[in-house]
Amino acid sequence: MPRWLYSVIALGIGIGLGLLYGWVINPVQFVDTTPASMRADYRADYVLMIAEAFHTDQNLDLAIHRLAVLGSNPPAAIAAEALKTGQSIGYSANDISLLQELTLALQAYQPAPAPIEGTP
Amino acid sequence: MKRFPWEVIPALVVGIGLGLGYAWMIAPVRYINTTPSTLSADFKDQYRILIAASYASTHDLARARIRIGLLGDADPVQVLSAQAQRMLAAGQPFAAVQQVALLADDLKSGVVQVPPGAVAESTVSVKLTTPTPAFTFSDTETPQAAPIESSTAEIVATITPFTPTPRPTHTPTPTAGAPFILLSNDKVCNPNLTDGLMQVSVIDGRHHQMPGVEVILTWDGGEEHFFTGFKPDIANGYADYIMQADVTYTVRIAESGTPVSNLTAPSCTDSSGQTYLGGIHLTFQQP
Repeated sequence: MPRWLYSVIALGIGIGLGLLYGWVINPVQFVDTTPASMRADYRADYVLMIAEAFHTDQNLDLAIHRLAVLGSNPPAAIAAEALKTGQSIGYSANDISLLQELTLALQAYQPAPAPIEGTP
Repeated sequence: MKRFPWEVIPALVVGIGLGLGYAWMIAPVRYINTTPSTLSADFKDQYRILIAASYASTHDLARARIRIGLLGDADPVQVLSAQAQRMLAAGQPFAAVQQVALLADDLKSGVVQVPPGAVAESTVSVKLTTPTPAFTFSDTETPQAAPIESSTAEIVATITPFTPTPRPTHTPTPTAGAPFILLSNDKVCNPNLTDGLMQVSVIDGRHHQMPGVEVILTWDGGEEHFFTGFKPDIANGYADYIMQADVTYTVRIAESGTPVSNLTAPSCTDSSGQTYLGGIHLTFQQP
């Protein structure tokens, strides 16, 4: 076997050991994650909590503020995604209804227009 | 005998370096499907506030307990109480503080302290798909790197419907701003307590402890303001003050409370006949 082949094999073994250490033995740790990185079912439950609170207080601004931690998508899209997830994993009819209520309210939401400068 | 191929050592080191560089920087393990237990502390605080707000709406203690459990706190009641105190100190809205404190109280007692008519639903279920074989969540849980579509098992937790014990009469929700009334004024002779201790407890119409309520204490030539809720180890609606001997105090709950005057530290006698300064315990209620 040519000597250069030893080096190539050693390089391959080294890469393998490096990957083993970096991916399995000591992978990058994510301990301070955000709600946006949560698994879809946890995100759906997060949105469901917002919908439950909204059902009582009807405070859409607060609901939008709470949804903002789930990513940069429009609030209505986040709620619609949660509704889809809830339907796919078998949420109860009541929970689906709450998510629909929130989604519809968000889709119909029209932010107050900013005042135009110079208009009396 | 062949000599050892020493040139493989640098190749091995370079290989390890390339492998680590790829694993840590170019393509690190992606935790896109994390659990609530891995959230940062401030997001966990937001999560608890949301659980409390949801609980205030649904009064579903079983579901709130499961959700709190997702955060992996060793002592959820203590964590919630401490968070309520922090929120109080930070001047966050009283309603939010009260929701967190209420959830802590109910988790501690295991009893939903709401009128039965306010319960929105009687049957609920929380479904969480997970590739792990058990419905357990803890701080040590390893987040799954696999996308949700690849989950091979679905664990479904169905919460037993909670049926609140019917009560003969509907207890109305306390009206914000309704005047507090003095429910009791008890002399306390306990040598184990601080001399002259004035204990104030503030509860609402459903006997919930009320944190964040301002108590105004006045006496000839002085005034003191303090708040309930800074001693959660005693109660969330508790506050105290050390009275001086021979000083007459007037206590008023800031939110339109009727003043209670002529309050003095009583004189007590212990088992050996020695006199000492006793205390009083005032309980206010918002009807």
